[in-house]
Amino acid sequence: MQSLHFKNDTLLEIATFLVRRWSEKQKVIVGIVDQQEIQTKLKENKVIMFPLDHFYGTDFQKYRQFRTALWYESMRLKHSNKILSNDHAFGFLLNTLETRRIENRGRREWRGMDEEIIFYYGFAWLYRPLLNSLYGKSRIVEGFFQYFLLGDIKGEVTPSAFKKIKKAAEIANEAVKQAVDNNFGTDWLEKKVSEIIKILEIDPLLTIPISIPKISSGIAVSDNDFIKTIGKITKFHESDFGELNPKRIAEGKSVIEEFKVLLQETKKNENRGLSTESIGISIPSSTNVDETRIYDEDLISNLKAKFKEWKTGWREQHVNTGEEFDEETYMEGSHKPFFTDQKISIKTRIVILLDHSSSIANEELQYKKATLALCEVLSFLKVKFSVYAFNTEQKQVTCWLVKPENIKWNNLAAKRLAQIKANGGTPLAEVYSIMFSGLRSKKPDIFLTLTDGEPSDPDAVRSMVTTFKLLGIRMVAIGVGPDTASATIIANNLKRLGYENTLAVSRLNDIPNRVLNVLGRN
Amino acid sequence: MLAESLYIDWNNSFEVLNKAFDTDLFVLIIGPKGTGKTTLVREFAAKKDKKLESVNFSLRTRESHLVGSKTLESGSIGFEQGILVKSMKEDSILYLDEINAAEADVLLRLDEALDDRRQLVLKESSGELIQASKGWFVIATINPLTHVGTKELPPQILSRFPVRIRLEYPPEEIELQIIKKYISGSHDKELLQAIKLANILRQAASVEELYYSPSLRETIAFGKILDSGVKPRHAAEIIFANIYSQWGNVEYQKVNDIITSMFGN
Repeated sequence: MQSLHFKNDTLLEIATFLVRRWSEKQKVIVGIVDQQEIQTKLKENKVIMFPLDHFYGTDFQKYRQFRTALWYESMRLKHSNKILSNDHAFGFLLNTLETRRIENRGRREWRGMDEEIIFYYGFAWLYRPLLNSLYGKSRIVEGFFQYFLLGDIKGEVTPSAFKKIKKAAEIANEAVKQAVDNNFGTDWLEKKVSEIIKILEIDPLLTIPISIPKISSGIAVSDNDFIKTIGKITKFHESDFGELNPKRIAEGKSVIEEFKVLLQETKKNENRGLSTESIGISIPSSTNVDETRIYDEDLISNLKAKFKEWKTGWREQHVNTGEEFDEETYMEGSHKPFFTDQKISIKTRIVILLDHSSSIANEELQYKKATLALCEVLSFLKVKFSVYAFNTEQKQVTCWLVKPENIKWNNLAAKRLAQIKANGGTPLAEVYSIMFSGLRSKKPDIFLTLTDGEPSDPDAVRSMVTTFKLLGIRMVAIGVGPDTASATIIANNLKRLGYENTLAVSRLNDIPNRVLNVLGRN
Repeated sequence: MLAESLYIDWNNSFEVLNKAFDTDLFVLIIGPKGTGKTTLVREFAAKKDKKLESVNFSLRTRESHLVGSKTLESGSIGFEQGILVKSMKEDSILYLDEINAAEADVLLRLDEALDDRRQLVLKESSGELIQASKGWFVIATINPLTHVGTKELPPQILSRFPVRIRLEYPPEEIELQIIKKYISGSHDKELLQAIKLANILRQAASVEELYYSPSLRETIAFGKILDSGVKPRHAAEIIFANIYSQWGNVEYQKVNDIITSMFGN
């Protein structure tokens, strides 16, 4: 489960980037969830995809379908103002018409998608159900879908049903053309759906089953058969897409490089042994999480501006000897007339442990915003850091890995942080002992614990702190309290537990500053 | 003369500069790199028929570059004027490019000359008092703080430039016109796509999803490369995508994929 999740990391990173650029909406969230249908929620700015292995064909073909599906959802986000549920006829038909409309609109800007769209249709053709395998009126709706989007029907229907399908497809094509030519939106097209429903003679609330292919997804199609299918689709769309080469489409050379990167990254992650970092440490694995709510852009940019000098990397310093002579300083009588640039870098490796016990529940969001800002700045300053958090789930303490040291901080790490619920007590010693084996081998320079209360096991904590100190790790704790007085009390209590350095914070937004100052002193 | 024909004043910057010039108020131009700040100033100076003295600030710019330094020639001590003193005396326009890259001591010295008295005591040369001529005019530019090597300007320096012009990337149509001034071929369709691509990347960089934001220089370079016969897809890769590979394969591939979906193969 965990290794699969990390394999999805790069995929999710690229997918999120692409959706945001394609849809021109900067805050869209992409999730990969094991479900039957791809879903886009306009109001929530969310696209929920299913994992790659739900698509068909070889791994590369699966990736190409994933990418094109993602493009379609981005176009929906950009050009649609309504997405209805696919499980009744009205919604299914509107979404089908919209698919063509947004595809047309999207292709004006994204001309490079043409071959990928045809490829996608090719697979749709292979894996749509045979009409004679469907029962009742949903057969005619599926027939309409196939005829309208793919140019033909699979299997058989009665001549009268076929006539209806043909007529409905004609009306639909005309409607989409008008909508595209006149820049009409979803609402205009929605009015045309009733007309199509009338022609197909169906109930608008007719239940439409989710299309599940009859061929198992593991069976690959022969190259020749696939090229033939694509040839057929290309012919059907020729008036729209112009002349395309089916063989070239099947090869998909334009996206192969991107796929190779995905493979390489997955391999890299596997080599780093991420999936089994340490026994007892879990990785938050849900991707269907809105991490944007814990981003406080103002706080992040303020901090970045404040610590900018650390980022520029070079500081001018005057020295006794050197190659560059500064006559001005010399004339002023300085003993250090040479100047040199000194690299400012923070070489300290830091491990951060975030308390997620129930006492922070009231201010959980603010706490997460502050800690996320800290991570953003650390990553901006290129500090080597890892982030852990702990809470209690089902009466058992869980230590979560939010960001390992060797993986860069990104929105996926933020997703992991966002989903950890503040719950339970503060069994610090237990958490320390879970982390001990991992840290013994990695030996960070600083181990920083952010906590808002007294640990439930102070004696055990004292002994664990001593153990870590013996390894040469500097133990620092920051007490977080609702006001100065309680923050100071917490910090004082922590001091008695043997930490080398304890600090108090009452304003959550001060957390990043405090941590960075600890690093700066080192 | 060349600069004159290259700048398109799409947000009426000249009007503001003229008004500031007439009222003797110094101007600060704020905007990301490659938005045409320098071209604007150059053309303004040409229009006013004034000499332009420019300093491009960096960590290495020292007081002596601005004010001047003592020289020793054939046994006698002389003084070579720096660009600030020269422009104050010569009635020219002083252009302080990327002033927020300057060190604090350099800014202090500038502050002295920029205040209402417009004068400078040359402690480097027997305490001579330099009084700026009547038509002396100063324009400074700063890059937004997100740029590496930039610092926040101290408030007293900011207040010396009460007229502020914001120069952003121009709208697509204007950017197209600007690029066309530099090229001879006709590739409007491809150029518009490249501008759209640049805007997408600028947007992504502004929310820090990418580490680099392409400037007008890149879109102009794209036009020039097209002129030389390179195919649009390849040109986009050379100009816009390759730079991102320094931040790893994934960063490069993200951008390359946007290019693929835009230009195809």
